[in-house]
Amino acid sequence: MTPEDFDRLQTLLASRAGFRLTRDRMHLAEHRLGPVARREGYHNVEAMLSSLWSQPVASLGWSVIEALLNGETWFRRDRAVFDVFSRELMPALTAARPGGKVRLWSAGASTGQEAYSLAIAALENSADVEIVATDLSRLSIEKAHSGLYTSFEIQRGLSARTMLRWFEQADEQWRARPELRSAIRFERANLLDEPTDDGRFDVIFCRNVLSDLEPAHRARVLERLERQLVDDGCLFLGVDERPEGDSIAFRPVAGRKGLYVKAPSALRRAA
Amino acid sequence: MDFQTCLIVDDSRIIRKVARRIVEGLGFEVAEAADGAEALTYCMGVMPHVVLLDWQMPVMDGLSFLRRLRDLPGGRAPKVLFCTVETRADRIAEALSAGADDYVMKPFDGEILHSKLAEVGAVQSPS
Repeated sequence: MTPEDFDRLQTLLASRAGFRLTRDRMHLAEHRLGPVARREGYHNVEAMLSSLWSQPVASLGWSVIEALLNGETWFRRDRAVFDVFSRELMPALTAARPGGKVRLWSAGASTGQEAYSLAIAALENSADVEIVATDLSRLSIEKAHSGLYTSFEIQRGLSARTMLRWFEQADEQWRARPELRSAIRFERANLLDEPTDDGRFDVIFCRNVLSDLEPAHRARVLERLERQLVDDGCLFLGVDERPEGDSIAFRPVAGRKGLYVKAPSALRRAA
Repeated sequence: MDFQTCLIVDDSRIIRKVARRIVEGLGFEVAEAADGAEALTYCMGVMPHVVLLDWQMPVMDGLSFLRRLRDLPGGRAPKVLFCTVETRADRIAEALSAGADDYVMKPFDGEILHSKLAEVGAVQSPS
């Protein structure tokens, strides 16, 4: 891969996905594109890219984009977040919505570990939840929907007891049990697009997404999250992510890492 | 603060070496045993904080060791994590009901071991 190829990949990712492909990911990009080139029938990555540049084909473009997104995730990533959700938010929300469903959104769900972790926490609280999980990558969301994880993936973040309770063995893999899968609706969606009629959510998890976005897109995504969050709802960002520079719609909750609620200014506007 | 000790019980020297490197990286003092009987002797001298335990081993297997360990004075204290190629759900359940705190299916890496040790409260949670 030439430096020019990488420049064009950066432009492709930025324009189509709002994704910031940093220069330190050049080797990683080459490594990830190898299998895409083989799958698409090219001799090597260079041949695939030169074909893409001379004759852009949407499907190939998306395969390349999907391979370069950062899908890193695991079960109960940042354990404290799930403890706050499970022990504090879930009981409060269930009490505040008598007879109603609590609606959760895993935005940037990748391969689904976050959504399943939320479903486990909700079902262990005997809460009635509806979870929507969306991701830009079709491959990731398909894997998430399958609910199938390798031994390697399943034990990253889950205790063996939790694994046995909520997953069943399927050959060499582990599959989420039906009650878990039926709590979640998986959809491919781009956070940069206008929202469809998914309604509003009680809690939104958009963790480790903003930090990979082109700075110019962060404000837009935060604005969208604000619109899709109920006024007394909660937003979880990645524990190292801060919305302050991009949006005044949210304020942090003291002592709860990554947790945000709507700022008074956003509430006034809504009223 | 005193060092936490981790006893690695596995008949494979390679596995012990790999596991040692990982848990030393997490700040543990490491001791090794090549089978359950050696491990039991060690525990009768001094109880480790954590035991990483293979299942199939000569002389005394992991499950027999675990049952005898839990009957020793102070033997309920160590956090015991099975680390084995045995991946059948019923065997995992058997190990847990025999008193294992958690269970790691081989192959594993540092991230998995770190998250498992965090799950049983033996180390801080990975970020």
